[in-house]
Amino acid sequence: MTDNSDNFAALMKQAQAGDQRAYTELLQETSRLLRPFLAKRLSFTNEVDDLLQEILISIHKARHTYDGNRPYKPWVYAIARFRLQDHLRAHYSDQLHHADDLSEIEETLQSDVTESAISYESISGEVEKLPEKQATILRMMHQEGYTAREVAEKIGMNESAVKVAAHRAYKVLRKKLEE
Amino acid sequence: MADIDKLIDKLAQDGTAIKPAHHPILLSIEWIMVAVFYLAIAFMLSGFRTDLSLKLHETWFVAELAALAGILVATSLSAALLSFPDLHQMRRVALVPALTFALFALVMFFAWRADSPPTPPPVHSVECTLSITMLAVLPAVWIFFVMRRFASTHHYWAGSIALLSAFSVGAIWLRLYEQTDSIMHVIDWHYLPMIAIGILGMWLGKVVLKW
Repeated sequence: MTDNSDNFAALMKQAQAGDQRAYTELLQETSRLLRPFLAKRLSFTNEVDDLLQEILISIHKARHTYDGNRPYKPWVYAIARFRLQDHLRAHYSDQLHHADDLSEIEETLQSDVTESAISYESISGEVEKLPEKQATILRMMHQEGYTAREVAEKIGMNESAVKVAAHRAYKVLRKKLEE
Repeated sequence: MADIDKLIDKLAQDGTAIKPAHHPILLSIEWIMVAVFYLAIAFMLSGFRTDLSLKLHETWFVAELAALAGILVATSLSAALLSFPDLHQMRRVALVPALTFALFALVMFFAWRADSPPTPPPVHSVECTLSITMLAVLPAVWIFFVMRRFASTHHYWAGSIALLSAFSVGAIWLRLYEQTDSIMHVIDWHYLPMIAIGILGMWLGKVVLKW
């Protein structure tokens, strides 16, 4: 553990001296270190990748604030936590912003299903074309009648991630149905 | 994954040699020196209160000045630590301003009790707050300018402490310049506005210290 930390600190010192190879190695190791930390806290792989990129850029911008005389990991985790909080704040405020939208779309979809112009089969067909996870969520919520919370419990995701996935699926479906 | 590898290559190419930032203690000493220099210029222009030599024999006046100086030192150190993402791994030291503010409140309480019968307040009031604020503008600009070169991960806290540090410079100046003995006036118009300044600092921190 200490050896590993010392290695990070040594790489950073070399990087600060202009050694690009050491810097590449440091960023690769840091990326490996942070990936599980982010994956535990975020539901989607693409979110993890996006945030990891943001964190690496932040490390690059803030690398002068590390002097090599203190452990590297607390420094890098402080940056990672900061960016993660930023990301989650933006994510939840976005969700709040779209909360009305979401219920509107759900209502529209539900009313559309009962109208004769759009058959259940046509929607069901489109649902099957969605990515597996989104399709499962919609099936469970709209065919089997589970709530978002129940779906989250059944498939081992958190509730907000289920709602986000459903929201994305509704967007795709709405586009398809409008075509 | 491929995107991350590409990004790492790009960042490594940009990774020219850089000089690590100074230790936060050195940074805070630098800020305090700038504040002392600024105060010296302010006194050269404004002069001191005429009864200063007498006032320096009063225990609670000296204690008040010492506590204000303590706030300046503690907030400068804390602001310097808060400029680093990990607070230079000295989180407890960053909390020292809470202690100095508590000590300051205690000193003001005893000074208020000692002011008996109470000295009548001067005719002016908010002018004092405005004077302190005006004098604090330059130190505030300076401290935020320096902090922006770092990478704070505690915008609200850092902004608040930085602005309080600048305000304490103005408060020291006015206490040594204005010939007022009314403790109630000093509390109401010199020190209570610090609460509003702290809140304003939070907002400024959020806006200015983004990176």
